[in-house]
Amino acid sequence: MKTINNSGDSYIIFELAGTKYAINSQYVKQMEMIENITPVPNAPSFVEGVIISRGQVIPAINLRKRFGFDKIDFDIKTRLIVVNINNRSLGLIVDTARDFIKIDKEQIKEVPETITALSGKYLSGFVTVEKEPILIFNIEEAINLTEIVEKV
Amino acid sequence: MARVKTLNDNILIKEVKKEAENISDTGLNLNKIADHLFEGIVSESESITNLLSGNAELAASLKETVSQTESVANSSEEIISGVNELAASIEQITGNTQNLNSSIAEVASSIDQNTRSVQSISANAQEMATSAVQISTSMNELASSIKGVSNETDNLMSSVNETASSIEEIARSIKGVAENADDLSSASEQTSSSINEMASSIEEVSATTENLTSLIEQVATSIEESSKSSQSIAQNVEVISQASLNASSAANQMENSIKSMTKMTKQAEDIGNRILKDAEEGIGTAQKSIQSFSKVTESMIASSKVITEMGKRSNEIGRIVDAINMIAERTNLLSLNASIEAARAGEAGRGFAVVAEEIRNLADRAAKATSDISDIIRSLQEVAQEAVDSSKEGLKIAEEGNRMAENSLIGLNKILTGVKDTAMIITQVAKATEEQAQASQSTTKAINETTAQVKHISIASNEQVKTAQSIAQNALQMKKIAQQVSIAMAEQGKTAREIIKAAQNSSSLASLVRKATAEQAASASQVTQAVESMRKGAALTSKAIKEQSIAVEQVSKEASRLSTLISHVTRSVSEQASASKQLTVATEDIRKQSDQITKGIVEQSKAMKDINMAIQNITKQIFKITKANKEQALTVDNMLGSLKNAQKITESNSNSVKLLKNNAQDILDKSKTLISIVENVS
Repeated sequence: MKTINNSGDSYIIFELAGTKYAINSQYVKQMEMIENITPVPNAPSFVEGVIISRGQVIPAINLRKRFGFDKIDFDIKTRLIVVNINNRSLGLIVDTARDFIKIDKEQIKEVPETITALSGKYLSGFVTVEKEPILIFNIEEAINLTEIVEKV
Repeated sequence: MARVKTLNDNILIKEVKKEAENISDTGLNLNKIADHLFEGIVSESESITNLLSGNAELAASLKETVSQTESVANSSEEIISGVNELAASIEQITGNTQNLNSSIAEVASSIDQNTRSVQSISANAQEMATSAVQISTSMNELASSIKGVSNETDNLMSSVNETASSIEEIARSIKGVAENADDLSSASEQTSSSINEMASSIEEVSATTENLTSLIEQVATSIEESSKSSQSIAQNVEVISQASLNASSAANQMENSIKSMTKMTKQAEDIGNRILKDAEEGIGTAQKSIQSFSKVTESMIASSKVITEMGKRSNEIGRIVDAINMIAERTNLLSLNASIEAARAGEAGRGFAVVAEEIRNLADRAAKATSDISDIIRSLQEVAQEAVDSSKEGLKIAEEGNRMAENSLIGLNKILTGVKDTAMIITQVAKATEEQAQASQSTTKAINETTAQVKHISIASNEQVKTAQSIAQNALQMKKIAQQVSIAMAEQGKTAREIIKAAQNSSSLASLVRKATAEQAASASQVTQAVESMRKGAALTSKAIKEQSIAVEQVSKEASRLSTLISHVTRSVSEQASASKQLTVATEDIRKQSDQITKGIVEQSKAMKDINMAIQNITKQIFKITKANKEQALTVDNMLGSLKNAQKITESNSNSVKLLKNNAQDILDKSKTLISIVENVS
C-alpha cells in the first residue's frame, strides 16, 4: 500500500465485511493476532471477552457484531486493534488490517447526508485511494467507552 | 286131324319166327346202341382222364404256388420277427432246404429207376400182347377148323335123318318142335330176364348218368370259382408287384437321401473342426487379454499409489506454505506495529517508518506468493484427487474387464467342450450313416430280388389262370358229352322197353306153341322112341361139337380180351412211364425251385428292418393269395374227388354197357337159334 504523501495524519486501514475503514493511528496502541479470548459473563453480545496484552487485561469487541454484520470465524488474518481512548485500552476485532497510510485533511470528504442519517456518528468522512473508497472511522463516536468499560 | 293140327302149328311157328326175327332186329339195334353208348362212355372216360391229369397238374402247380407263397410269407414274417433270429432260422431253413434238395434228388433218382422199371414192364407187356395176339389168331384158326368138323357132323346127321322113315321124321319133327318149343320158352324167359336186367342196368346207368351230369355241373362251377380265384390271385400278385416297385423306388430314394446325409455330416464335421480351431484361438486370445488386463491393473495400482503419494507431498507443501503464510502475516503485523511506533516517535522515527513499510511490502509479497502457491497446490491436490478417483475407476473397469475375460474364457472352454462333443457325435452320425448306406444298398438289392420273385409268381399265376380256363372249357365239353350220354341213355331206355314188350309177346306165343306141341309130343313120343337112339348119337355128337365150338369161341374171345387187356396194360404202363417221366421233370423243377428258394432265402437274410412295412404289405397280400390258393386247392381237391366219382360212374357205366352188349349178343344168338329151329320145324 502506497502512502498518498508524507504530510498529514497516519491511518491504519482495516476491513470489515468487505468495506475498508481508516482509523487514525494516534488512537492505536498496538496490533495483535487473535490468540486467546476469555469470555466474560453478562457482557454485551458484541463483547467477545477479555485478552491479556502486554500484561494488561483488555476487553475485545467484535466490530461485526457491534455494527450488525454476521459473525465469521477467526483466522490468521483476523486482527485485534488495541486502541487507547481516554487512557483506557480497548481491543477491536476486525476481519483484517494490513496497511498504514498518511491522509491529508483536504482529501477527506464529507459523508453524504443519506448515509450519515444512519451511521453518521461513527464516520467522520471518506477518502478515495486508488479509486477505492475508504471510510474514515470515528472511533470516539463509534465506541461508547464508558458503556463498554462499565460493563466489563 | 293131325294135318289140321300141323297147319295150326305152322301158323303159330310162323308167328314165332316173325317175333324171333323182330327180337333179332331189336337185339341188333340194341347192340348198335350199346356200341354207340360204349364209344360215348369211352370218350367220356378219356376226357375225364384228361381232366383228371389237368386237374392234377393244376393241383400240383397250385400246391407249388402255395408252398412258394407260404415260404415267401414265412420268410417275410421271419424278417419282421428280427434280423438275428432271421439269420439263424434262414441258415436252418437253408440247411433244411439243402436236405430237401438232396432228398428231392434221391426222389428224382428213385423216380428215374421207377421209370426205367416201368419202361421194362411196358416192353414185357408189349411182348405179352404180341404173344396174346398170336394165341388169339391160332385160337381163331382152331375155331374155324372145329366149325368145319361141325359142318361135316351136320352132314352126317342129315344122312342119318334121311335114312329114317317118314313117320319117324314127323315124330322126330314133332319131338324137335316140342323140344325147341321148350327151348324157345326158356330162351324167351331168359331173354325176358336178361332184358329186365338190361333195363334195370340201363335205368341204373341213366340214374348214374344224371348224377354224373350234376357232378360235372358241380365240377364246372367249382372250376369257374377256381378260375375266378386264380384271376384274383393274378390281381393280388399285380398289387404285390406294384407294392414291390414302390418299395424299390422308396428304397432308392432312401439311399439317395442317406448319401446326401453322408455328405452333410462330412460338411458338419469340417465345420465342427473349424469351430474347434476358432474356439481354441479364442481361448488363446482370452488368456492373453486376461494377462494384459492384470498388467493394466498392476500399472493402474502403481500409478494410483504414485498419485496418492503426490497428493500427500502436496499436503506437506501446503503445511509449509501455511507456515510461510503465518510468517508473512506476522511480519506484516510487526511492520504495522513498527509503523505505529515510528509515527508516535515523530520526526525521529521517520527512517524507521520507511524500513517498516519496506518490510510490510516484502511481507505482502510473501503473503501474495504463498497465496498463489496455496492456490496452485489446491488445484494440484484437486487434480491428484481426480487422478486417484479416475485411477480407482480404471482399476474397477480393469477388474471388470478381467472378470469378463475370465467369463469369456469359461464360455470358450464350454464352447470347446461342446464343439468336441458335437464333433464326436457327428463322427458317430457319419459312421452310422455309412452303415445305414450299406444297409440301404442291401435293402434295395433285396427289394429288387423280391420284385423279381413276385414277377415269377405273377407269370406262374397267369399260367394258372390259363390252365383254369382250359379246364373250364374241358368241363364244358364234358358237360355236353354227359348230356349226349344222358339223351342216348334215354333212347336206350325206350328201346329196352320196346324189347321188353316184344319179349313178353314172344314169351306168350312160345307158351302157346309149347301147349300145342305138348299134345303133338304125346302122339309122337311113340314114333320118336324108334328114332331116338339114332338121333341121340348124332345129336350128342352135334351138341358136343357145338359145345366145343362155343368153348373154342369163348377161348378165342378170352384170348382177344386178354390181348386187349394186355394192350390196355401196355398203354397204361406206357402212360405210367410218360407220367413217371413228367414226374421226373416235375421233380427236377421242384429241385430247381427249391434251389431258387434256398438262394432267395440266403439273399433275403440280407434284407433290413426298414422295409418291414413293405414286406408286411406284401405278406398280407401273400396271405390273401395263400388263402385263395388254399381255397383253390380245396376246390381242385373237391373237383378231383368229383372227377374220380365220375370216373367210377363211367367205369360202372362201361361195365353195365358191356353187360348190356353181352346180353344183347345172347339175345341175338338165341333169336338166331330160335329162327333156325323155327325154320327146321317149318
